[in-house]
Amino acid sequence: MAKTEIRIGGLGGQGVILCGMIIGKAAAIYDGKHAALIQAFGPEARGSACSAQVTVADQAIGYPYVKRPDILVLMSQDAYTQFVPTLKPGGLLLYEEELVHLDGRLPAGARTVGIPATRFAEELGRRLVLNIVMAGFLTGVTGLVSQDAIEQAVKDSVPKGTEDLNMRALRKGLEYGRGVAAKAA
Amino acid sequence: MILEHSPHPIALRDGSTLVVRPAKRGDEQALLAFYRELPREDRLFLKDDVTTEAWAERFMQRIERGEATSLLAEREGAVVAEATLYRARHGWSTHVGEVRVAVARPHRRKGIATALAGQLVKLATDQGADKIIVEVVENQLAALRTFQKLGFHQEAVLRAHVKDISGIRRDLLILANDVSHIWAAMEAMVADTPPEAV
Repeated sequence: MAKTEIRIGGLGGQGVILCGMIIGKAAAIYDGKHAALIQAFGPEARGSACSAQVTVADQAIGYPYVKRPDILVLMSQDAYTQFVPTLKPGGLLLYEEELVHLDGRLPAGARTVGIPATRFAEELGRRLVLNIVMAGFLTGVTGLVSQDAIEQAVKDSVPKGTEDLNMRALRKGLEYGRGVAAKAA
Repeated sequence: MILEHSPHPIALRDGSTLVVRPAKRGDEQALLAFYRELPREDRLFLKDDVTTEAWAERFMQRIERGEATSLLAEREGAVVAEATLYRARHGWSTHVGEVRVAVARPHRRKGIATALAGQLVKLATDQGADKIIVEVVENQLAALRTFQKLGFHQEAVLRAHVKDISGIRRDLLILANDVSHIWAAMEAMVADTPPEAV
């Protein structure tokens, strides 16, 4: 059974949960896979640590908690400090390169790919689409869900009137991710 | 996405259609021909002398710098209307877009201004603007109605701020369309708030 465990970490207000929800929705609703989402919040709503655990599998998921993620998606230094030791050996770390600085805590054999997602989001018009850039980036680097599925999931999940900007944010992350993946291949 | 799907047709009230597309370098002469055909009293309400080559060059540079997006409505290859969205890239009003629309007289009252302004409002929202403004002179009643239909309301009046071709001083109305509620909904979605706190 193919099963991918993902943890997304960042700060409250970065859209960490929405990012996880969109990836799960793309897999479960539009790609016909199974997905589970667990959300964890800090004591304050905004600015405190926040994470989402997403499991994507070909078959029903019996245990939805992610202890040793295959993929870490990180958007804050605190999340890096907290979660990077849990990354599976040889796992993949996708990180916001202006917010997260790597150090010696990386597990052996981990692959790391960064993206200036905040800058991309600001250039597109709104910093708050950072999480959508990251969802596109994950899709572009890993191909875990299809482009059609992630696009449908974004359209489905964001407020009316914001679809176009969110879609541009998604494609920006996706294209950047594909470019990085192609260079690495 | 409006720009990605261009050129695209728009249907007018009289049953005819026009083609709308973004202006780009190479359109200078078509723009100048359009503005030079406008009666002088119509051009008075514009901030620049839009009949000069120097203006056309400056306008193209603003488009290329991303400070302006211009839509041209064409019939049989000739520009019959032009609408521009201006966005400040620096300073304290980067969240505000400004719209300006000009339609050739024979093509008015067909819904062209409504269609173009509506597309620019959508575009401004897509670009992340919170607020869109437009300046209308008090006696431009058709323009007032057009923008009110698109959700604009009067936010300020500059008394006797413009002088028309007869020398009559008129009020300049600043209309605004606050689209920040659209982004407030998105902000709520990315707040990462526990379900019980919602």
